[in-house]
Amino acid sequence: MRGPMATVTEEQAPPQKWVGQSVKPRESYRLIQGKGKFLDDIKLPNMLYAAILRSPYAHAKIVSIDTSKASALPGVISIITGEDVEKATKPFMGVVPPPGDKVIDYCLAVGKTRYAGEPVAAVAATERSIAEDAIDLIEVEYDPLPVVVDVEKAMNKDSTLVQDAVGSNIVWHKQFNYGDYEKAASHADTIVKEKLHFHRFGAAPMETDNVLADYQESTGLLTINCNNQMPMFCLALIVLATGWDSHKIRIITNDIGGGFGAKIISYTYMVLISLLSKKSGRPVKWIMERRANIISGTHANEATFYVDIALKKNGTILGINAKTIHDEGAYLRYEPIGALLWVQVSSGPYRFKNLRMDVNSVVTNKGPVAPIRGYGRMQHLWMIERIIEIAAKQLKIDPLEIRMKNFITSEEMPYVTPSGATYDSGDYPQALEKALEMIGYPEWKKKQSEYRKHGKLIGIGIGTGIDSGTNNFAQVKLISKENPFSGQSRMAFARMDEFGRFQVAVASNPHGQSHETVVSQVVADELGVKPDDVFVLPGMDSFSHPFTGHSGSYASQFAVSGIEAVLGASRKLKKKIIEIAAFKLGATPEDIILKDGKAIVQDSDKSLEFWMIANMAWRNNLELPPDMEPGLMELYCWKGPFKLPDEKERLNPTLTYSYQTHVAVVEIDPETGKLQILKYVAVDDCGTQLNPQVVEGQVHGAAMNGIAASIFEECKYDDSGQLLSSTFMDYLFPTAVEIPHFQTCHLTSPSPFTTLGTKGAGEGGGTPLITISSAIEDALAPFGIKITDSHTTPERIYNLIKKSKKVKGN
Amino acid sequence: MIPRSFEYYNPSSLEEAIKLLDSNEDSKVLAGGQSLIALMKLRLASPESVIDLNNISGMSYIKESDGKLLIGALTTHDMYENSDLVKQKFFVLSEAASRVADQQIRNKGTIGGTICHADPSADVPTAILALDADIVITGPGGDRVVSAKDFFVDFFTTALNPNEIVKEIQIPFLGARTGSAYFKHARREGDFAIASVAAIITIDEEGVCTKASISLGSVGPTPLRATKVENALVGKTLNDDLIAESSQLADFNISPPSDIHGSADYRVKMTKVFTKRVIKMALNRIGS
Amino acid sequence: MEKKKIKLTINGEQMEGEAEPRTLLVYFLRDVLGLTGTHIGCDTGHCGCCTIIMNGVSVKSCMVFAFQAEGTTITTIEGLAQNGKLHPIQESFWENHGLQCGYCTPGQIMSASFLLKRNPNPTEDEIRRGIEGNYCRCTGYVNIVKSIKAAAEKMQSK
Repeated sequence: MRGPMATVTEEQAPPQKWVGQSVKPRESYRLIQGKGKFLDDIKLPNMLYAAILRSPYAHAKIVSIDTSKASALPGVISIITGEDVEKATKPFMGVVPPPGDKVIDYCLAVGKTRYAGEPVAAVAATERSIAEDAIDLIEVEYDPLPVVVDVEKAMNKDSTLVQDAVGSNIVWHKQFNYGDYEKAASHADTIVKEKLHFHRFGAAPMETDNVLADYQESTGLLTINCNNQMPMFCLALIVLATGWDSHKIRIITNDIGGGFGAKIISYTYMVLISLLSKKSGRPVKWIMERRANIISGTHANEATFYVDIALKKNGTILGINAKTIHDEGAYLRYEPIGALLWVQVSSGPYRFKNLRMDVNSVVTNKGPVAPIRGYGRMQHLWMIERIIEIAAKQLKIDPLEIRMKNFITSEEMPYVTPSGATYDSGDYPQALEKALEMIGYPEWKKKQSEYRKHGKLIGIGIGTGIDSGTNNFAQVKLISKENPFSGQSRMAFARMDEFGRFQVAVASNPHGQSHETVVSQVVADELGVKPDDVFVLPGMDSFSHPFTGHSGSYASQFAVSGIEAVLGASRKLKKKIIEIAAFKLGATPEDIILKDGKAIVQDSDKSLEFWMIANMAWRNNLELPPDMEPGLMELYCWKGPFKLPDEKERLNPTLTYSYQTHVAVVEIDPETGKLQILKYVAVDDCGTQLNPQVVEGQVHGAAMNGIAASIFEECKYDDSGQLLSSTFMDYLFPTAVEIPHFQTCHLTSPSPFTTLGTKGAGEGGGTPLITISSAIEDALAPFGIKITDSHTTPERIYNLIKKSKKVKGN
Repeated sequence: MIPRSFEYYNPSSLEEAIKLLDSNEDSKVLAGGQSLIALMKLRLASPESVIDLNNISGMSYIKESDGKLLIGALTTHDMYENSDLVKQKFFVLSEAASRVADQQIRNKGTIGGTICHADPSADVPTAILALDADIVITGPGGDRVVSAKDFFVDFFTTALNPNEIVKEIQIPFLGARTGSAYFKHARREGDFAIASVAAIITIDEEGVCTKASISLGSVGPTPLRATKVENALVGKTLNDDLIAESSQLADFNISPPSDIHGSADYRVKMTKVFTKRVIKMALNRIGS
Repeated sequence: MEKKKIKLTINGEQMEGEAEPRTLLVYFLRDVLGLTGTHIGCDTGHCGCCTIIMNGVSVKSCMVFAFQAEGTTITTIEGLAQNGKLHPIQESFWENHGLQCGYCTPGQIMSASFLLKRNPNPTEDEIRRGIEGNYCRCTGYVNIVKSIKAAAEKMQSK
């Protein structure tokens, strides 16, 4: 059987460069055989299983918890409640200034529960079934409190308080004034105003959040096996809350079943399960149920916008003024970062200089919000594209024309937007033209007007999204200057072993992005070997993989930050290899190249095989250059080229800006409101592609996720704070039957700011929401219907049509 | 995710199964399990005993006898969906089965199981009602036959007594010049219905409708026959206008639920739309 | 509840293990028999990550009690490769990037194996219907469909 390192090009002559080739992911070899190592596949001796009791109430005082019956169940070893948690830990740190810093956030509800599904108690037992039986036996007395699920009602002074100590449900409020919107508005021919709503949905990766915590009192070592996407960042939050010995905590991730940003805030569970392990003296494994995953958070930011757009009558956009209200749910976790991240894409792909944002971060009795793919940007971009299309219709300007008129062009790149976000490169007009060509825009326009005569509703939707990537943590200083985060970094090592083979490690917690493969391609190019010769340490282990406080996979950046770290380490290694070779071969380093596993003196027949160089470095160091340190293992820490915000609160919050243009043709059945996607095109540009097939796969997946959110998935709450769609029966994850085929095309605008011209792939998870809203509005144009919500259902469309017919007197 | 504990029984005959049902008050019968096990995993159902029927031989069959189609209660949806006999002569049943969830669920779920579960939004009960099926039930006192319209009593409630088991479904042959169709309006293809219609239309040599059987799903506690629509069609030559007009009567006596997938009002409207469309589908299939 | 021994044939081998009546087949395979290639992705029998072949048909192993599997013949993902050689469906998924995180993949491949046995030359629509009971979050299904189509061609040309 072909080994795991087999690639598509093994049989052919190796290409000049591995970067840019669609090398088959080596990770897939184990995964197609069911031999991946996901967290629930791990079994430790003496291991217990945990189950969590969750609150049925959205808002209630916890009067008492009686665990006696549960404790008496044979096989139950430990139980923890909020009382224990309050004694053992401090509330988790947040990033928000006073009064929001008074938000109480523990790993279990303490004193009261604030959302239906909030963890209230946790049990560790010898079997999964016993743990589940035990939580049935825990008796909790609740005293229900008034519930607030409407975010605007939550802002009222007399609203029930979700986080009492804050004194208000508005936990953060800030105004940003970039440019001069007032002046722009005074010069405008038209100001179009609208209220828009971006709905709440979840990421629902196929594997839920899982934790296996193992505290060994004999050594003091706490090993946390998890599937968090950025656990080394979360380590700070864990240690600050618990006071545990940071240097005795080992965090491990293996194969992870998808993340999409959802697997970032599981640090609360990492603490909870570790507490159970400490209490029981045994390893404890917890697997989150799907129901808990849908209910208990990892929702994307829900936002309401009151937006004005000021334009000239020829369609030139002068500025945007928006009040945004982010519904954060009951706890903040990383919020209000999501309410802030529009700064990364402040004017979208458009050239306007005046932007005034009044940002409100509000808590309600709903599940917590997490950095779901598109975090904070997709909401803002959807808002911008919506208001522009609504304004275009009012001004009777073609939607293509208004875009082309206002698009930032490639000649203007790098382009500094009102917030200071500096777009590195990109050609939005070209992407749109390409997408229109691929969809067959003129033909569909013709069909559309013919079909309309027969009452058939076809719509063509357009959307351009920008996926800013590689974040500058200093952006959180816009929330509070005291936040001790800034810049970006990644660390990697590259090692040549004594046989001339390579090992590379970077703490990236991959979850489907084929990092092992892509890294091997990059290193192979640097060191003149085949990807097969480079073993990339799978998963992440904080005891073996180098990491910084920024490490992980989030904010669309591995192709930049992770790869830059790997490049840096590889280049240091290369330098040393060459120095040793030069010394041994009596040449200068400039004359030496690395090729085919050898150090070769150019224009000569002098060469050294790698193993010979390695031998000198590892076992035979008296042959090395006199002052050289032995060994061939180099560590490198990449530092992002960022700055702190200036006095006008501007900064470049992200290094790279991938973008996508999606165009869709939809048909709406006027009798039922049901929507069908007839054709879908996704054009994306993420700069240099390290592995085109890997990028394309992610573009497909992101297109699906955005479509899913747009027309299927919604986290809808009733007035008592119950999530009505808590299982896959009601949370409508689309199947292969619902999702259309996607046609894709990739453009390449390399980033001038990265070594290989790469950008965080981005993938475009938010863009379909823009495109589908646009398509629906276009299909319903004969009725004059405006689409002001990011989610539509057949019934909503049906009612919109009915209402408009009544209004028109049809 | 894991059910509560229960006693498991594995009888090898129906008689044994009945005895077990009789002697264990809080017991449930396990056929395909695709509805029961889902409920047990969510701990919405926690019977003390589960009586697995799958070791009883001779409960899965599809055959013709005396002008009827006979289907054993443990016949899986996949089996009768793909049966040539069912496809050719009772297409509405095959079509309804094809809309149940997905392939894996259809490979295990059974016709007996789904009609006993009696979810008014399920596909097959709606078709069974349109087909005027008879349900053969066996119990301590022997066998009895209940017509489909008497079998579905309320939400998740049938005419079965606690100590009875469905043995067989009998469906009378459809006459010549009959076309049938089933369609479900749902958010995803395999979901429970927002509105669903099964229609069986028979016409004579002159094209006059002699029989119309229209069954509606997700319109109340059980699937319902749209008798007013049926009466409006019988004796008439069916054209688009007549079908459209008659379909407006589909809202007679229906009380659909309201949930996040469809309000009651929307379901009523969609029932009328799909009554019209499914009658047309059935009509167009006559002769094919 | 008392545990009972269950005997069955898995991937061509006689196997046995202990389970309670309420033990779901997927947990029996994973926790008792150590066959962790079959995954769990939901609570309600929707996602299909747990799909195996039981007595010749694809089945969601989270919707079956282990006791019901007594005496049956089961194939899990671990049983597809034969004599050290990947199954054509596995090869196709690898060649056509039909997976990313790999969590839904065993279920997809098992459903594909059932589909192709029954319908060796499916259309795109038939493929999509065939995997309707297998959710995927990473791939958007495009490359899964491509992989199954390619597998069909591979298997037909053998």
